[in-house]
Amino acid sequence: MQKGVNRAAHKLGRDRFELAITALACAVAVYMLVSISYLYIAVGENWSLVWAALFESRVLGAIAISVSSAFIVGALAVAAAIPCAYLLTYRDFRGKGTLETFLIDLPQTLPPVTEGLVYLLMLGPWGLAYTYAAVIIAKFYVSAPFAISFASRRFREIRETGLDVIARSLGAKTSHLLGRILLPLSSRDLLAGFSLTWARAMGELAATLVFAGAIPWRTEVIPTLVYFTAAETPQVAIAASVIAETLSIIALLSFRRIGRER
Amino acid sequence: MMKELRIQNVTVRYGEVKALDGVELVVNPGELMVVMGPSGCGKTTLLLAVLGALTIDEGHIWINGEDIDTLPLEERNIGYVPQDFGLFPHLNVYENIAFGLRVRKHVEERIRERIKELLLTVGLKELEKRRPKELSAGQKQRVALARALAIDPSVLLLDEPLSNIDEATKAEVRANLKEIQRESKVTTLCVTHNPEDSFQLGERIAIMYAGKIIQCDTPQRILENPKNDLVKRLIAPMYILWNKRS
Repeated sequence: MQKGVNRAAHKLGRDRFELAITALACAVAVYMLVSISYLYIAVGENWSLVWAALFESRVLGAIAISVSSAFIVGALAVAAAIPCAYLLTYRDFRGKGTLETFLIDLPQTLPPVTEGLVYLLMLGPWGLAYTYAAVIIAKFYVSAPFAISFASRRFREIRETGLDVIARSLGAKTSHLLGRILLPLSSRDLLAGFSLTWARAMGELAATLVFAGAIPWRTEVIPTLVYFTAAETPQVAIAASVIAETLSIIALLSFRRIGRER
Repeated sequence: MMKELRIQNVTVRYGEVKALDGVELVVNPGELMVVMGPSGCGKTTLLLAVLGALTIDEGHIWINGEDIDTLPLEERNIGYVPQDFGLFPHLNVYENIAFGLRVRKHVEERIRERIKELLLTVGLKELEKRRPKELSAGQKQRVALARALAIDPSVLLLDEPLSNIDEATKAEVRANLKEIQRESKVTTLCVTHNPEDSFQLGERIAIMYAGKIIQCDTPQRILENPKNDLVKRLIAPMYILWNKRS
């Protein structure tokens, strides 16, 4: 509740409609929380089995490939987001809306499996299929829109304040505007974009599977490992899932905290 | 060197609407000219047109005989202080003032000297390490002025410089502003909707209405000989103050 608002007037329970929407929000929150935490409940008394599975070479390989590729994708996405956000914020041209759809909306809505196939057909003949690079390429397409969207939104907010006009009036060229104004004022948003990109890249399955395959210690990531082991060796699948989920939660919370502190 | 600003038949259209309609105005070298008019009359559009932040549809803008219409914003060498002062929130007072000098690649020693000079002029010597959020509105305005003056601008543009200043300190801030402008001798175009501010600040006042300048003269002559009833109405509060004083 905002400072200065009369709390008594908004006491929960007096307004039935407000009570109903609060209950609905709580139900959604419980659903999300159970969905996230049930994995830990499912492990139950089998912690020792899962713990042992964690140190299997194949699981360690999948963790290494997943985490490292997600970091590379996050960094590449932020690097790509900066020029894209600048273009979308400061240049007016025909087809700008369509370009934005192609950069941000479509990659998030198209079936990733289709994109994996596209890359297989397009880049396979170049020898890129089933390589570590293929993992990066497949994950980047699906995950980068988070970084682009965060950076674009922030650049537009800065434009609204008119700080860019002031910087230009003082003689700033585009490089100064980016380096001294836009990037420092967007650091939190770029970090948020990086963290969501990282988390999305960690969970990417279909495009990676089709284009990069699942070769242990080369292209096998946690989601593909879970997919292939769920039926036959569920303790391995559960161990990989636990580590993926835990890493994602820790990473997202840490990035958010760092973002707040900056 | 003091420079002349000449605005010649400038028209700016927003779709079908003419925000500026053949504006003619000459600001003499070193003069403080105030453009006064009601909200929406085109004052800020005029400032942005001179600044180069928007493109003019017709006419020309000259600084000391040089046509600057086609020059990009960053090459016009115009100091600009917006209504909200527009300080860079991530930079302290010193770095805000240094911004223009740094992007122009001045040497560090020269930057330090210039900022020292400016901090003394605007009376903020002790506050150079403070961030904008730790400053009062009056202090923010002085930082914004120092930052704009740091680049030795050909022309200084002030957008409603007193609208964010509380009434208690307004007279002092206004006097400061006038003093800084006089000391720096920079040709200044200031816009405001407030008749009292414009009559207190301006050496000459241009009364603007519906995108046109309808009278331009010294405060005294406008009071004595308003061109028409519209001008009389727009400066009405000044008659009340004038009568009170006399």
